[in-house]
Parts: sequence; C-alpha cells; structure tokens
Amino acid sequence: MFLSRIVLRDLNSIDSPASMASSKKVVTRDEWERKLRDVKIRKEDMNRLVMNFLVTEGFVDAADKFRIESGTQPEIDLATITDRMEVKRAVQSGNVQEAIEKINDLNPTILDTNPQLYFHLQQQKLIELIRVGKINEALEFAQEELAPRGEENQTFLEEIEKTVALLVFEDVKNCPYGELLDVSQRLKTASEVNAAILTSQSHEKDPKLPSLLKMLKWTQNQLDEKAAYPRINDFTTDALEDPSI
Amino acid sequence: MVTNQEAEAASAAAPGAGATVDPMRLASRWRSQAEWACAAAELEAEPAPSELNTLNSSGLFSVVSTDKLSVKYLGSHHHGHDVGVVQADRPAPTRRAVYYFEMSVRNAGHKGQSSIGFTNESFKMRRQPGWESNSCGYHGDDGHLYVGQGKGQAFGPKFTSGDIIGAGINYLSQELFFTKNGAQVGSVPKEIKGPLYPTIAVHSQGEELTVNFGKEPFCFDIEGYIFEEKMRQQSVSDKLNLEPDISHWIVRSYLLHYGYQDTLNAFDMANATDPPTNRQNGHAEPPEMYGLSHRKILRQLIMSGDIDSTFKRLGEWYPQVIKDEKSVICFLLHSQRFIEYIRAEQLEDAVKYGRANLASFLTHKAFEGLLKDSVALLAYEKPAESCIGYLMDSPQCEFVADAVNAAVLSTNPTMKDPESCLYSCLERLLRQLTLCSFERRAFNNDQGDAFLLHKEVQNYERSRRS
Repeated sequence: MFLSRIVLRDLNSIDSPASMASSKKVVTRDEWERKLRDVKIRKEDMNRLVMNFLVTEGFVDAADKFRIESGTQPEIDLATITDRMEVKRAVQSGNVQEAIEKINDLNPTILDTNPQLYFHLQQQKLIELIRVGKINEALEFAQEELAPRGEENQTFLEEIEKTVALLVFEDVKNCPYGELLDVSQRLKTASEVNAAILTSQSHEKDPKLPSLLKMLKWTQNQLDEKAAYPRINDFTTDALEDPSI
Repeated sequence: MVTNQEAEAASAAAPGAGATVDPMRLASRWRSQAEWACAAAELEAEPAPSELNTLNSSGLFSVVSTDKLSVKYLGSHHHGHDVGVVQADRPAPTRRAVYYFEMSVRNAGHKGQSSIGFTNESFKMRRQPGWESNSCGYHGDDGHLYVGQGKGQAFGPKFTSGDIIGAGINYLSQELFFTKNGAQVGSVPKEIKGPLYPTIAVHSQGEELTVNFGKEPFCFDIEGYIFEEKMRQQSVSDKLNLEPDISHWIVRSYLLHYGYQDTLNAFDMANATDPPTNRQNGHAEPPEMYGLSHRKILRQLIMSGDIDSTFKRLGEWYPQVIKDEKSVICFLLHSQRFIEYIRAEQLEDAVKYGRANLASFLTHKAFEGLLKDSVALLAYEKPAESCIGYLMDSPQCEFVADAVNAAVLSTNPTMKDPESCLYSCLERLLRQLTLCSFERRAFNNDQGDAFLLHKEVQNYERSRRS
C-alpha cells in the first residue's frame, strides 16, 4: 500500500498543468504578429476566391457586379449560372416538373447519369402532390413512376415507403416523417440538383472558401498539440487570442 | 520596385489620418508580376536532385555517363560488396506533399540485379539500397523490397530491360512508394531518418540504368497521385463543422471592406429572397459599413483615372486624409495623376505636374522606387510595353484605390483596431491559415506541403480544366 501511494503521487506530478505546458513551444504575440506580417497574399487571389464562391453558389448578379467592380474574370460563363439558378429556384418553389424539363433542356444526360438525383426529384414531386392534397394523383404517380424504382434499389424503397406513409396521416405536420414536407427537404433536393449541374459542366460543385475555413480550424487544432500561440477562435471578429499558458 | 526598407520608411514618415496605412502591407501591392514571381519563388525555393553524384559513387564498379543521368556496371559481381550504386546530387526536397523520380532499365545485363530506392548520407557506397540500415530498395531480380536487413520482403513484380520503375516519398502519409510502368506497386512506412537521397544501383555485367529527376515527363501519373493525396487530406478537415453561413458573412465583409457596394447590394438582394439560415444569429454589423458609398465612389473615380475628382471629393468628405501634403496617400494619388497624363499621351502636362507635385517627394527615401519608375515612363515611346508597363495597368489603379480605401477607413472614430483598415476579415483568416500551416510543417521536420493561397487558386483552375 505504501508503494502504491508513492506511485500515485508521482503520477499526479506528471499530469500537472505546468509540466504539460512546458513541453509546448510558446510563441509570443509580438513574434506571431511579426510572422503574420511576413505572409504574402495577393489581392487578385482573394478576389478569385470570392468570385469562385459567388459563381458556385449561383449569385449571378453579384458575380457580374463583382466582375465590373473588381476586374476579376468569372471562371465560367455567367449565362450558365442563370440556367442553373432557374432550375434551383423551380425546385425550391416546388415546381418539380418544370425543374426536370429545364434540366433536360440544359443537358439531357444529367438525369440519365444521376439515377439518385432523378429519384430524389421524383420523390419531391410526390411530396408536393401530397402537400396540396392531390391524393389520387399522388397514388397514381407513386404506383406508376416510383414503385419500379423501389424494386431496383433498397434505399429507394425505404424512401418511397416513408413518403407514402405521409398519406396515411391526417395531421401531416406531426407525423413521423413530417420533415419530408419541410422546406428544408426542397432545399436539400435543390442543392443536389445544383451540384449535379455544376459537375456536368466540369466545375467543382463546392466553393473553395468553406474548405479553407475548415482547413484553418484543423490546422490550428493540429498546431495546438505542439505550440501555444495566438489563435483565431471567432471567425467573425478574427481577434487573435493570446496563448493561455 | 519598392523594397521593404522603403516600406518601413514610408510608415515612419507619414503622420496624420493616413498614418496607419502602410501601402506595402496591402494585398494589392503585388501589382508588378515580376516582383510577385520573385517573392513566390523565394517561398518555394528548395534545391532538388537534378543529376547523379559522381563524386561519391563507387567508381570502381560503375561508370556514370557524361550527362550524369545514366550509370553502367563495370565490375564482375564477385560478392555483395561490389555494387555499382549511385546517389543523386542532392537529397529529396521535403517542403512538398510528394517527391518522386523514375529510372528506366536500359539493359538488365546478365542477371537483372538493378534496384531503386532511397539511402541516407552515410550509406556504404558498395551495397544495394536496402541491404544496410537507413536505406530502402526495390530490387529487380526478385521483386522484393529491402528495408535495412539482408532479407527482403515480397513486395512486387520483378523488373527487367525496358521497364520504368519509380520511387517516391509521400510526406503526407509518411510512406515510401514504388511504381512499375505507370502502375503503383506498393508502399512502406518511411522509417529512414534524415535527408533521403534518391538512389539507383547496378550489380551484374552489362546492366545500365537511366534516371529521370523530372526533366522528362514521368511514366506514372504523379500529378494525379498528388491530387488524390491532397483530396484525402482535405476530406479529413472537411469533416469539421463551421458556423452556419459563416462563408456568406465573410464574403459580405470582404465586399464591405473594399467598398464593392454594387456587388454587395446584389449579394444582399439574392440572400433576401433565399436567406441562408440563421443569418441574423447575433453577428454584429461589421464596422466596415463606415463611409461605404463614399468609398465606392472614390474607387470608381480612381479606377477610371479621374484623380482630380478624387482629390476634390476627398477634400469634401475626408480632408484629414490629404491634409498632410507629404503623406503616402498624397504621393500615391499624385503619382497616379502623373501616370494618367502619360496614358493620355499628354507628356508636357505630365512633366509640369511632376515638377509641381512629385518633385518634393524626391528627397524621401520611402517613395524612391515608385517615383523613379513612374518618372521613367517618360522615357518610353510605348510606356505600356516597357518593363515598367505594369504601372499603366489596372492593378496599379487598384493599389491606389485600396490605399485610399484604407485611409478613409482609418478616419472612423469608432475604429478600435488600426490593422482592420488594411486587412479584411478574409485576409486575416488566410494569413493565419498560411502561418499556422507553415509552423505546423516546421514541427514535422519541415516535411509536407503548406498552404499558399496562390497555389490553391492555381490548382483549382488546373483541375477544373483537366
């Protein structure tokens, strides 16, 4: 017992904050700010990052104005963004048939090469029919168009079952799968459509900026293991917070 | 071109509202492509292997060609200590994601005992890479990988005449990997400490190898491999969560900071009909709203070359910015006016203006570079095509516009942080990312790639076009 007490005491001293902190390199605020000042960043690269965000997220007008105000060239033809945004808007307002027609006008191969997207669009169509109470039409659509899809794919079948279940509940808002009727479901489908169109135009479907922000978070976390240095914790204020030693 | 010395002198020389504006710290100061190219090259400069080392190779057993890219076995393979092994002239560079080189087996000779791999500085230059500790070699006769013992482990196919074998160091996964004729063979953990020298070896009569350190295109799609590795790394950080709509907020604050009001309005309108969730979630209105419409107008005036109106408006709205005639802002505006005269080919007016307004700055060390270059434009018949032609391009106007923008922001009485006039929120985040990335790499024995915005943007465009 005497021996174990000694061992425990030793363990305590190993874990004390002082000795933990001393294994990390400490960088003072002045030193850090001096190094920050040496970082070389070009405005045109930042402009490109912003343009990439506007274009990928579909802000056509803003991208056009930015082109004029900053002289940055958009990376894709702005006209294609308008088309893509029209499709997105159609889905977001629940006009799925219109969206499907527009997609086929843009590029008939998109739906052929994206069975999952096509299924989600059809599912959305069914949801919209249920939402406005067109029960008969909904059932017909489900039986003719969706059921065959369910046969070829287990996941699709589960989704169909969830959606059809909505018909059974009178108070649809409070049924178990009520979230399918939420506007967020439309947004989800719209986002999927946006990504598929971008990909078909050989454009990356995600803007670069969020990735870089995540990279900053990750890099700071990694660096935390080795050093105590001023961090940026709040991305909106960008305040450098001094290392806590 | 303006140097750092001049920059420091500039910030010391200018009192008044524009005092916090050191134009050399603005992101748009890199308006001269040549200057940027220099700075960027400095960031990435790292010596890399270019040819075979003839000084330390075991000259008894092999001969290196005059172009130092091929080696041929001379000995007669009596035992295990007469290998014709050659290292590259320099160790593999570490400040990148992956290093890679290839060799082609010109002639497998009698027994096809050539090999490729990495060794350290103290390697015994009579042994096959992998036979000694701190070395690694992929051998053609048995297709085994040797990692420091006499016995190798089964690794891949054998190789012989006509094959192209590659060896690489993946700093992200800390592995050594090998390829044969464009296909990956396998990889092992990198356990060799210290600088790694690309190494090739021959050991039977008639064997001959030629090495490629990158001068020729590689057989293996190394760019594709690097891209995949980087994507894998990115997918790790992509799993982290961000505050909802933080990207929208940051883009918005960028537009506000520089006074791109039209873009901002279009952006806000699009978001009003299609609101990102939680946008009102307690984000304070950025301080960059200050003087937004004025700053937009000033920027437009400068970009269109109307410096006279710029002075007039500044006098009306923010007189403190141009109060001190010796300030940086005044200098930049006067030099821009001068450039505009030259652009309009009104050379006499340019000289008159220069005498009246620029001559007084000649005594200031701070402005020497830009001043000299601007005045030198007079010497050219076609100034836009000269080596200082960059002064006539819109990036120069943008630079002056950004300086004026920062000066106006600095007059905001509620401003707490002078740095916020120079750097937008986005820029500060990118600086922090760059620095953290470099520091992190330094802790990792300076291995791996680090974040550089211009490379990211470049890579993005390249991958899009492919």
